[in-house]
Amino acid sequence: MVVADGMGGHHFGEIAAQIAAQTLTESFQREAKPDIIDPFRFLQRGMSNAHYAILDYSFAHKLDDSPRTTCVACLIQDSIAYWAHTGDSRLFLMRGGKVAAQTRDHSRIRLLMEEGVISEAQAATHPDRNKIYSCLGGDVAPEIDFSRKTPLERGDIILMCSDGLWGVMPGEELAVVLKGANLMQAIPQVIKDAEKRGGPKGDNVSAVAVCWEQSYQEGLGDSAISTQTMSPGEVTTKLEEFGRQPGYKAEMTEEEIEKAIGEIRSTIEKYNSKK
Amino acid sequence: MAQQANHALPNGYRLEEYTIERQLSLGGFSIVYVARDAANVEVAIKEYLPNSLALRGEGQTHPVVAPEHLGAFRYGMKCFFEEGRALAKLSHPNVIRVLNFFRSNDTVYMVMEYEHGRTLQEFIVKHKGHISERFIRGVFTRLLNGLREVHSCKLLHLDLKPSNIYLRTDNTPVLIDFGAARQTLMNEQPILKPMYTPGFASPEHYGPRRDLGPWSDIYSVGATMYACLAGSAPQAADGRMEKDELTPAMVRWEGQYSDHLLEIIDWCLSLNHLYRPQSVLALQKTLVTAVADNVPVVKKEVPTTWINRLVDKLRNQ
Repeated sequence: MVVADGMGGHHFGEIAAQIAAQTLTESFQREAKPDIIDPFRFLQRGMSNAHYAILDYSFAHKLDDSPRTTCVACLIQDSIAYWAHTGDSRLFLMRGGKVAAQTRDHSRIRLLMEEGVISEAQAATHPDRNKIYSCLGGDVAPEIDFSRKTPLERGDIILMCSDGLWGVMPGEELAVVLKGANLMQAIPQVIKDAEKRGGPKGDNVSAVAVCWEQSYQEGLGDSAISTQTMSPGEVTTKLEEFGRQPGYKAEMTEEEIEKAIGEIRSTIEKYNSKK
Repeated sequence: MAQQANHALPNGYRLEEYTIERQLSLGGFSIVYVARDAANVEVAIKEYLPNSLALRGEGQTHPVVAPEHLGAFRYGMKCFFEEGRALAKLSHPNVIRVLNFFRSNDTVYMVMEYEHGRTLQEFIVKHKGHISERFIRGVFTRLLNGLREVHSCKLLHLDLKPSNIYLRTDNTPVLIDFGAARQTLMNEQPILKPMYTPGFASPEHYGPRRDLGPWSDIYSVGATMYACLAGSAPQAADGRMEKDELTPAMVRWEGQYSDHLLEIIDWCLSLNHLYRPQSVLALQKTLVTAVADNVPVVKKEVPTTWINRLVDKLRNQ
C-alpha cells in the first residue's frame, strides 16, 4: 500500500506522486513472488528509487526545480506490518478504536511540538504547518523513517492518508469512526467528511485503509491448518502438514506408482488366498 | 471461501469390474463407496481424492489436479499406498481386509470387504452413557486381537478412535481406516508424520515421534474405552500435558463399572508412556482374566418372582 501526496508549492507535484506510487507498486509486483525477502530493504530501495526516478524525470524535462512528494508505504506479510515514510503523509495503526502507532511527520511543526515550544492547538493553525523537511524528489536525499516489525492482530486497521485528512480529523477520532466499520463504506464517507470540514480552501484528501482479519501466530508456517482444505466431516482430525513436507518433493513417478500397486496386489493375493 | 466438496461417482457407475451402488462416506482425503463386484458381492471401495488438491465437478469422472498440486497429489497417493500395503499384509477377522487395489480415472482405488454394521462412534452416540461393561469387555478383547495382529506385522495403527472401529451386526469389532498406519516399529524415525485425532491421540503423537510405539495405540484404546463411558472424547493429550483436567475413570464412574475396568482405562491413559501397558498382550491378559472373577459389581435388586427363579436356574445350568 502506498500513499504519495505531491507538493503543491512545487511544480509537477502530482507527477512526483505518480512516479512514487508507480515505482513502489511495480517493484512490489516484480519482487513479491509471493514473498518479499527483506521487507525493510524493499521499502528503502523502493523509496530511494522513486526519489531518483523523480530527479531523472525533472532532468529529462529540464525542469527548474524538481517536483516533490511525500510518501508512506506499508507492506504486510505473514500478519506482520512493515512501513516507511518520508514527509507528512501518515500511517495510523488502529487497534480496538484507539491509535496504537503512527508515523512522525518530517515537519518543523512536529519538532517544535515535541520540544514543547508550541502546543497541539497552536500547531493546527501554525503558518508553517505544511512545511516539511524531507520528501522524495528535491535537492536533498530523503530522510526515511522505518517502523518496527509490527505483528498485527485480528481487527487491526492500518490507515494511510495525506495531511488533507489528518489535518481536519485527528487520528483518535478516525480510530473511533473506523472501529468495526466496513471500510469499503467508511473510508469514502470519512474522505467526504474531511473535504466538507476542509471547506473550499481544504487540501486534497487521499486515504488507503486495510483491516487485518487474521492474527499473527508464532510459528504458524507450514503446519497451518486451513478450514478451507477440510471437508465438513473432518473437523476433528488434524492432518498435519499434508503435502508441505520437504519429503514430498520425492514424488512418485508413473513407474513407482505401477510398482507400488503391483506390490500391493501381490501381497493381497499372498495373504488372501483363502478368499 | 469454502472449499467445494468433490462430487462422488454416480450410482450405477462401472468402475472396472465393480458397480458403484452408493456413497458411504466422504472424507477430506477420500470417498468411500459401497459397490458390487462381478459376483454381486458387496464391497467397500475407497477412492483417493484429496479435497484440497483434486477437484471433480459434477458429471465428471476424472478429477482435475492443478499442475502446482501434482507433487502433493502424488505424495498423498504414496500415503494411500502405505495404507494399502499395511492392510494387504493383514488377514485377521478383526481387521478390515483388502480385496483389490487398482488404478483408474487418474487416481487409485482400494477395494475392501464390506459388512453391515455401524461404527463404534455411532454406537456411542446412540447409547450415550449407557454402554455395559460386558459390551466393552467383549468388544475390546476382540479388538485387541486385531491390534495384536497389526503390531505383530511391525505396524502401528496410530489413529485408533471410535469412528475407526466398525461393529458388525453381531457386535464383533473390525479395525478400519489404516490411513495413518506406519511401519514405525521398524524404523528408528518414522518418515511420515501420523495423522491424529485430538482426544484419542497419545502424547507421543504431539511430541518427539521416536517415542511412538505400541503404547501409543494403547493410549488410544484407553481413550476409546473412556469415550464409551463418557459418551464423548476425553481431553486431548496436548492439553492434558499442560493442565490435566481429565477426571480419572476411577473417580468419575466409581461404583457404576468394576474398579478393575476403570483401573485399566486409567492405566492406558497414563501420560507417561512408560506407565502404560507396554504391549497389547499385557493389556489383553488383564482385560480377559478379570472377566471371570470381577464382572457385575452393581447388582440390581431383582424381585424374586417365579420367572426370575426360573431364569436363574436356566442360567446356572
